[in-house]
Amino acid sequence: MSTNTYTTPPAANPHSRLRPLRYGIAIAVAAVVVVALIASSLLNYVYLDSIPGRTSLYGLLAVALIALGTYIGVRAFTRDRASRRKHLIRAGVLLGLGTLLWLLVIDVFVFTQSAGPGVAALCALACLPTTAFGLLVVRRMDRNEKEPWRLVLVAAAWGAIVATSLVIWGETLWDQTTQRLLVPGPGLDAASAFSAGLLEELAKGTAVVLLFLVMRNDFDDVVDGIVYGAAVGLGFNFMESVAYMTNLFAVFNPEGFGWYAAGFQWYGRQVLGLFFGHATYTAFIGAGLGVARQLPKKRQKAFAIISGFLIAIAAHFSWDAWVTFFPIDSTLFGLVEIHLRTLIMTGPFTAAVIALLLFGIRYEAMGLVDQMQKEAATGSGTILPEEIPILASPWRRLKQRLAAFRRGGLPAYFKVARLQSAQLDLAMERWHRERQEIDAPLEAEEALRQRLIELRHWVPA
Amino acid sequence: MRSVAFDQTSVTLTTRGQSIRLSPCVTTEAYDQILTLYRTLLVFATVAGVILAVGLVEFVYFEPPGQTSGARARIVGVFEYDPASGQLVGSDRASFTRNQAFAAKVSWLGLPGDITVDARWYDTFGNVVGRVGPSTPSKLGDNSIVPVVVPPGLHHNLPGHYTFVVERLQNGVPVEVLARRIVLVER
Repeated sequence: MSTNTYTTPPAANPHSRLRPLRYGIAIAVAAVVVVALIASSLLNYVYLDSIPGRTSLYGLLAVALIALGTYIGVRAFTRDRASRRKHLIRAGVLLGLGTLLWLLVIDVFVFTQSAGPGVAALCALACLPTTAFGLLVVRRMDRNEKEPWRLVLVAAAWGAIVATSLVIWGETLWDQTTQRLLVPGPGLDAASAFSAGLLEELAKGTAVVLLFLVMRNDFDDVVDGIVYGAAVGLGFNFMESVAYMTNLFAVFNPEGFGWYAAGFQWYGRQVLGLFFGHATYTAFIGAGLGVARQLPKKRQKAFAIISGFLIAIAAHFSWDAWVTFFPIDSTLFGLVEIHLRTLIMTGPFTAAVIALLLFGIRYEAMGLVDQMQKEAATGSGTILPEEIPILASPWRRLKQRLAAFRRGGLPAYFKVARLQSAQLDLAMERWHRERQEIDAPLEAEEALRQRLIELRHWVPA
Repeated sequence: MRSVAFDQTSVTLTTRGQSIRLSPCVTTEAYDQILTLYRTLLVFATVAGVILAVGLVEFVYFEPPGQTSGARARIVGVFEYDPASGQLVGSDRASFTRNQAFAAKVSWLGLPGDITVDARWYDTFGNVVGRVGPSTPSKLGDNSIVPVVVPPGLHHNLPGHYTFVVERLQNGVPVEVLARRIVLVER
């Protein structure tokens, strides 16, 4: 077996029963999503005859292109180097076409009819840097083994495009039905909040579930789950911000304060609510899946996953249902009230996610250090005893990379970074193997060791 | 002769004629920290369950089951409205432009005299933008026209769907919609 042609360890144990089952579930979930999207689009178009309905129908092709491009792109990294480039180009073309088509659909059928394409573009541009900042922060939260950008971006893209498309029909139908049946007021607000919490979190959570099922090697624990979940939430928040900003601009512009209304939305959703809103809610779903990843019993796994969804739905519900109980004054004190409201209503949930994250990081670090010590004790030369304190600390790892940069410039910096990353990968692989929660064969671990030894030759002492 | 056999969880002492198996009183298995995370998650999920239950109670309080009195109010129509004269203009319509004032006309006749009712307009954001009542139908007899009021600071109505409802109240809380109309204010 040639290890040089593989970028990741060779295929997992062909006799494992876990893999086909996992992939089977993933295919079933994906099929349900596709059927739901098609049905939603057709029903919207036929029965609602509204702008979102048309968007949903014409956007279907864009969603299909993005889904296909995403699949090819993600799988490209598990192929050999020779064919990877070809698959990445295919994925890039499909993703580009899908994105352009989606933007066109949005511009033409939604925002052009209300605020115009220029306003829509400006709103999207305003939300891009903040969302990018959010993704950067979320990815960096994983201090020991950062998730690949391609998966973080896939998660965000799902949240922005697929999840928003999935909920249009359900929420519209729910709202139209309840508006005709219920007494307006807090009861109706509660009903709408149940709909938003349930439908939106299920739509966003599907992305995290698919990542959990398909990309198991990049979904290690609770920390990874929180990162992916928050990324999906940030993507959803991006699209929702653009939609609300353009809509409110169109509503209030004839009164002379369209930009004020849009700017207020931008601040509320992209600054104040960047981490407090959707990112927090969906992070709980990821946390549940991440904990389930490492639990030994099926019953515990099921409880953990259900718990993640339940917390996300409740957190989302509480904001939507009870935000009207915290009215904002139109005085200067209103500015303070807005911040206090977010802090009081969503703060406890965000604090709970941070607590899970910190505990997860600590737990992961303990496991990795233990495995690094065991690997160093083998004398294989992949991890040296004196390297363990450095590898265990993100700051010391950074200092080591900077020292390499001073010695040999950027190439040396990246070589050391690759070495550190591979060492942590090996420790992670060992950790999962010791816990019996991995279906990759021992040869995969050997391939990692081989790669590490090669990297060590390249890195100057 | 004495032999000692070890396995992972117990020690067996064997002497002539007897064999004693000694089990440790404290488990030697290390506590897996993932269980702490799992239990924390379960605690959070319990709190989440309480939140959703409170939401359900809130829903039932404001939307109590079995509140069907059988009474039905009649909305004569929604018309363009002249605020200066307080009169309705033209015919019943389902949509208006932003700068058109409009109002609903309600017939209180036929409603039981002992119930408390009101009539309200809700704008697309769920704000009350016009109201008559609460009172008994007989006392509201003269107040049959319910106009939409432009909110302070605005020049025209905001676009979107406006919902007009005639509600029955109990202890000050609306518990039943006796009639409903939805109209559109165009962009």
